[in-house]
Amino acid sequence: MLATVPKMTPLSAPMVNRGLFEGYDTGSFYDEMFSAPGVPRPQYSKLFQKLAAMAPAQFEERRKLADLSFLIQGITFTVYSDGRGTERLFPFDLIPRILPHSEWERIDRGLAQRVMALNLFLQDVYGKQCIFKDRKISRSLVYSCPQFRREVIGVEVPRGIYTHICGIDLVRDSKTGEFYVLEDNARTPSGISYVLENRLVMTRTLPDAFQDCQVLPVNHYPAELSRILRSLSPRGEDDAQIVLLTPGIHNSAYFEHSFLAQQMGIELVEGRDLIVDGGIVYMKTIHGLNRVDVIYRRVDDEFLDALSFRPDSLLGVPGLMGAYRAGNVALANAVGNGVADDKAIYAFVPTFIRYYLQEEPILRTVETYVCAEPRDLAYVLDHVPELVVKAVGESGGYGMLIGPAADGKRLEDFRSRIRANPRNYIAQPVVPLSRVPSYDPSTGCVAGRHVDLRPYCLYDGRTVTIVPGGLTRVALQRDSLVVNSSQGGGSKDTWILRGEN
Amino acid sequence: MLSRIAESLFWLARYIERAEDTARILDVNYHMLLEQSQQPYRLRWEPLISMAGEENRFWSLYDTANAESVFEFLAFHGDNPGSIVECIAKARENARTIRDRISREMWEDINGLYYTMTRFDPKAEIAAGPHRFCDKIKFGAHRFHGVTDATLPHDEGWQFLRIGWSLERAEMTARLVDVQYQNLLDEAPTVGVPDNHQWMAVLRSVGAYEAYHRQYHSPIEPEKVARMLILHPLHPRSVRFSATEVQAGLRAVSGTGPGAYANEAERLVGRVVERLSYDKVDEIFQQGLHSYLNELLGLCGLIGDDIARTYFYYAAVA
Repeated sequence: MLATVPKMTPLSAPMVNRGLFEGYDTGSFYDEMFSAPGVPRPQYSKLFQKLAAMAPAQFEERRKLADLSFLIQGITFTVYSDGRGTERLFPFDLIPRILPHSEWERIDRGLAQRVMALNLFLQDVYGKQCIFKDRKISRSLVYSCPQFRREVIGVEVPRGIYTHICGIDLVRDSKTGEFYVLEDNARTPSGISYVLENRLVMTRTLPDAFQDCQVLPVNHYPAELSRILRSLSPRGEDDAQIVLLTPGIHNSAYFEHSFLAQQMGIELVEGRDLIVDGGIVYMKTIHGLNRVDVIYRRVDDEFLDALSFRPDSLLGVPGLMGAYRAGNVALANAVGNGVADDKAIYAFVPTFIRYYLQEEPILRTVETYVCAEPRDLAYVLDHVPELVVKAVGESGGYGMLIGPAADGKRLEDFRSRIRANPRNYIAQPVVPLSRVPSYDPSTGCVAGRHVDLRPYCLYDGRTVTIVPGGLTRVALQRDSLVVNSSQGGGSKDTWILRGEN
Repeated sequence: MLSRIAESLFWLARYIERAEDTARILDVNYHMLLEQSQQPYRLRWEPLISMAGEENRFWSLYDTANAESVFEFLAFHGDNPGSIVECIAKARENARTIRDRISREMWEDINGLYYTMTRFDPKAEIAAGPHRFCDKIKFGAHRFHGVTDATLPHDEGWQFLRIGWSLERAEMTARLVDVQYQNLLDEAPTVGVPDNHQWMAVLRSVGAYEAYHRQYHSPIEPEKVARMLILHPLHPRSVRFSATEVQAGLRAVSGTGPGAYANEAERLVGRVVERLSYDKVDEIFQQGLHSYLNELLGLCGLIGDDIARTYFYYAAVA
């Protein structure tokens, strides 16, 4: 349907004006594209020349083509606003986010280090619990985490892997120009499908740009994930039956679930397709029951098994935890990972890196006030208007307060919530996120918009593999710092260059 | 293959087929009914509603059956689960739940058809008449068949699609012949006087008009039309051809050879194919066309039920 890309007009014409970038204001933020007004950074120099020479109408045409491509492919997510889910396009911005190789190389090492430490932490808290004995973190802080699962203490997970897939959110602080880890997602991080689809659409929409810039590929992700899942099979790899467990078509990430299942050539199942009999998990096929060895589950812990967790869950498989404990089926990610990405535990990850790996953290973390600590609590209550307050167990931008943007009533509301349940909150200073030029269809102009970066890390028990780049999420509303898709965010393709420009 | 996926494929195909057949019937009959105002007698719109099996629902929504109300009801009405719009939406929803199992091209095609359909404005279409809309649906369905055939491995999943649309088509053609025949006999001034014009429309609505002339080189007679639509071994919309397709699909799934059956659905479809292969058209008229077709429709219903029992449902597993 979209096989024909409109004929390109030659872009070699001398720059008469700055076209799309006419009047672009880098503001007081770190701009990923420009080091000074009108001066592109080295990694952007080639792309800038192309885009600047492009007539706005031509750009608009390409943009529409990209949108249509997403719509026809059904690359949508579901928003729940009025109790009925509606499908929406995840807005895609054509101007990519580009990082030079050297900068990425450091991020890659930093993320690998972090994933190893998180995995060791999980092995420890659900195993020997040395970290409590060595007093690096208090048992009560860990045990009071809502995502801590006593049910899996002592369960041996295949190859000692808990964090098969981690999505770690990074932001660049405009003040220092450095990347910081903002949060870890060690349960069921989503978004990788957009990374792969964004790239595909990008190569169709701006093919000429790829000819000039040497962009590292990302499309080996499904093969790498598939390899890891296969290695977990309790019956050996050859006959391993691997499935992806989805909550179903109404889940906001359903597109991604079916996309990954298809890319890996594994069965996409719902809870009702599976059954546990005699401690073995089976799927119901037209020719009878087939044994299942590995489940890449995109269903949260508490819905996995109505016999172990929420009894009202229809999304899981009754008896699944029994089969898991017996080692008859492997789950990725492991059950109980939520304790590692709890926002209060986040403050201790540098401690984990030093404690488990005897290394200094490569990536910095944002200063964090853990309200469970009395001294931090007092500070937070006094400084709410300057801080970002987050509920520890929430994600997707829900349960969050941005102090400087909130009115008095909302600040007071959060103060009383924090007082009522300090363990449930942390606070951080507002990070002025860096910006990338982004196209605003309503004005036809390019303007700076705040971005973060979520790379996807795969861990096979020995090494961490990260596809170069990740999902750059962009807050498309002017001045907004919230990049979540549920809150009006969009995404960009992320290019890691083979070299520096 | 997961039972749930087989079921979704089966229904995806049925909904596409139902949308196409409804569009065909609506398109042809609409124009026929409008043209026949010069005739000394009037045909009614009601048979189109009974063909869809939705009389009660129709009369709860409308006071009269006329060009506008019937078109709106069969094409657009959200409260009619068999309306074209609803069928395409449900076909797409089924495709969406199994999009990892169908080809990317199939998904993009059905998704594109769905969006095309949502862009139609019912009011404008009703004013313009159904041809433009029905044509889009008809060719949309054809394209989906083509895309499926060319991009999906012809494995078990493909067989369930084949079973789904063939079973639906067998039923729709049987119902079309039944309702039209009764309609014409009831309404024509002299029973038995062949009315070419009406039967032409019947043939057109299953795309068999030209094929009829190649086959018979004679004026249109009801018996020959019935023979063409019920018993023809090769016409792709005849009941016999469709039933043979269902049988071939079921056998491919179970691996059963000729002369045997692996489940109740195969036994019943075998009986249907057998009858349609050896019955003669005058025998059918001797029994009475309506009663004959009713028996066939009953069997088709049972075949559908048993396919579900055999392949889709897991009654309590130990």
